[in-house]
Amino acid sequence: MARTRASKGNDTASKDKAAATSASQSKYTISAPSNNPPKVFILPMKATDGARIVSLLHPRYAKPTRYLVCPETGFYEFTRITAPKSTPRSWLITTDDRKPQKADTGSEPVEADASFGTYVTNGAELFVATPIDPLFLILPTLIDPSSKSEKRRYISGDDHFDRIQQESPHLWEILRWGEGRVRDLLEARLGAVCDTVDAGDERMFRFSEDKLTAEVLSKARRMSTRTLPRSMEEKFVVKPLEAPVLGVKRETTTTITTASTLASAEIIQDDSSNSDSASGTPTLKIEASESGSSISLTDSSTSFASDASTTATSVIASEESIAIAEALLPAMVASPEVISLQRLRTAFNFICSSYVPSSLVTILQSKLPAQPEADFGPLDTYLSELNRLKQEAVIARSAGDYTRKRVMDDEELAERAEKKRKKEEDDKRKKIGESRGVRDLKKVNTAGMKKMSDFFKKKA
Amino acid sequence: MLEARLSQSMVLKKVVDAIKDLVQDCNFDCNDSGIALQAMDNSHVALVSMMLKAESFEPYRCDRNIALGVNLVSLTKVLRALQNDDLVTLKAEDAPDSLNITFESSTADRISEYDLKLMDIDQDHLGIPDTEYAATVTMPSSEFKRICTDLQAMSESVTIEATKDGVKFSCAGDIGNGAVTLRNYQNVEKEHTNVDIELTEPVSLTFSLKYLVNFCKAQPLSDRVKICLSNEVPLLVEYLVTGTSYLRFYLAPKIGDEE
Repeated sequence: MARTRASKGNDTASKDKAAATSASQSKYTISAPSNNPPKVFILPMKATDGARIVSLLHPRYAKPTRYLVCPETGFYEFTRITAPKSTPRSWLITTDDRKPQKADTGSEPVEADASFGTYVTNGAELFVATPIDPLFLILPTLIDPSSKSEKRRYISGDDHFDRIQQESPHLWEILRWGEGRVRDLLEARLGAVCDTVDAGDERMFRFSEDKLTAEVLSKARRMSTRTLPRSMEEKFVVKPLEAPVLGVKRETTTTITTASTLASAEIIQDDSSNSDSASGTPTLKIEASESGSSISLTDSSTSFASDASTTATSVIASEESIAIAEALLPAMVASPEVISLQRLRTAFNFICSSYVPSSLVTILQSKLPAQPEADFGPLDTYLSELNRLKQEAVIARSAGDYTRKRVMDDEELAERAEKKRKKEEDDKRKKIGESRGVRDLKKVNTAGMKKMSDFFKKKA
Repeated sequence: MLEARLSQSMVLKKVVDAIKDLVQDCNFDCNDSGIALQAMDNSHVALVSMMLKAESFEPYRCDRNIALGVNLVSLTKVLRALQNDDLVTLKAEDAPDSLNITFESSTADRISEYDLKLMDIDQDHLGIPDTEYAATVTMPSSEFKRICTDLQAMSESVTIEATKDGVKFSCAGDIGNGAVTLRNYQNVEKEHTNVDIELTEPVSLTFSLKYLVNFCKAQPLSDRVKICLSNEVPLLVEYLVTGTSYLRFYLAPKIGDEE
């Protein structure tokens, strides 16, 4: 045995050695990872050659963020798409050697071919440029902490842009692009959310909260005309509007009913059992017709009522049968109007939370109800009703759900096992230290015998 | 520091043998007056109280109070090595982890030494008042043992009835009933066979025979046993060990509907 093990050990050792030598004499050498690995972008076709990636202030987070700006077609934001950590991926990037690359980016010389070879990147990140309304990028310029809307003065576009010059260094640069077309674009968008006045050849702007609200709302409306992206629709539209199933709700109403009849029955029971059943039946029937229930409910309730001496257990049994019979019908169904309103609200909140400075969001939220074309009334009534139903369902469940056991986590299980083991060990040790006489005495019937401490008092 | 040397070593063995079938673990409380023990059985209906006076030992030394928590089964195992004429010496420190037990052969050619691990035992001490019993019966211990074992074959409990005529042990079981009656008996030549009944008023009490038979395991200690009865108080069964050292058992009577 020992010999085989020894020979094996030698074997692996020699193999290791071989592996080590082969590794050091590898045919290919892996170059050091690049400091500035290439990134993969998907850029819009319509973006012209003049488009550049610039740093501008992110409207929501107030941090310099990269945007693609094209003097002809406008602004684009980048969305980074990464592979999840659980499934790591990488890009293999090659250039086609056969076709000599055109120096296609205009004036700038392409330094690629020499240095740009074939790459394998570490992370499979993909940056997709999608159009963004430049309005959002100039929103930070509109925040003037000192001002209330009445005191705000009309100031020129340049003065507006001045406000974020520090944080957004590339803004001035791009304002000069394309013979001022970028500037015109920005001022036009500025006009959409501002009251304007023409002063000579210059246009003056004053921020209007109402206009901004209307603008964002119209964007939200466009976003919500079709269904939202699926995960969003699921989480923010379908789930919040979902009503608890009818079975639960019906259970609550029946408990109330039976409870009330039981109470009345108890009161009357003193008089006579005849009048008891007589008075019990109509109450139940009224309740049943009110809730518009099926025949099965009336059946079970009448059978309950006919039995004058009903016990608590039979009440529970009849309740359960009702619940099963009518389970899984939602108590409320949201109308298409309510759904579309919820969608609109979700879209509005989404835009606010991702593109609008937080200081403006509060203003927008407060201005929203005042908007003439956005009447969230039906949605609000639906939601409050839904809330009430949910609370009822929760109460009903907590009252009736005595079968649900607490789920133990691993720690508790381990603790319990440890305790059990200890107890067993203890018992075992005790058994060993126990004489036969002591064991036998345990079986003696000591009924009618008082404890010694009843006769003799404890010493201090 | 405890050091106690007992020439009548068998006394220790017999005491432990008598107690070990009633209690499992107990404290031997040592102080300058001797070694005492008080313990109850698991059901707390019986109590054993032992006192080995310092005079029984030669020499006896105990500087301060020491509680020796002992498992009696373990102690029995050690005492099994004790031989008839051995001298036994108990030694322990002031806060002992173990009890040192030495057996010396009387011819002094062999010394056995054992260390018994001790344990911490939480025990309540009950104060037992001196009681004037209505009836006190002193009789040969072997006689008492015999009556108890004989009646145990018939029933699980015995009624002890002491009147001026004598003391009657009676029982009723499934197969029938039985009774043993003892009268006052004096024999000047064989005093240990005497039966003395002292009575202030008639008493009748019922007890569990299993427990009484258990008490009778102390019979080898002494050829006399004293049985004290009074209404509404536990029965006392006392064996005198040597001199004034004693081993006492108390048992709660059965009250209310019997069987």
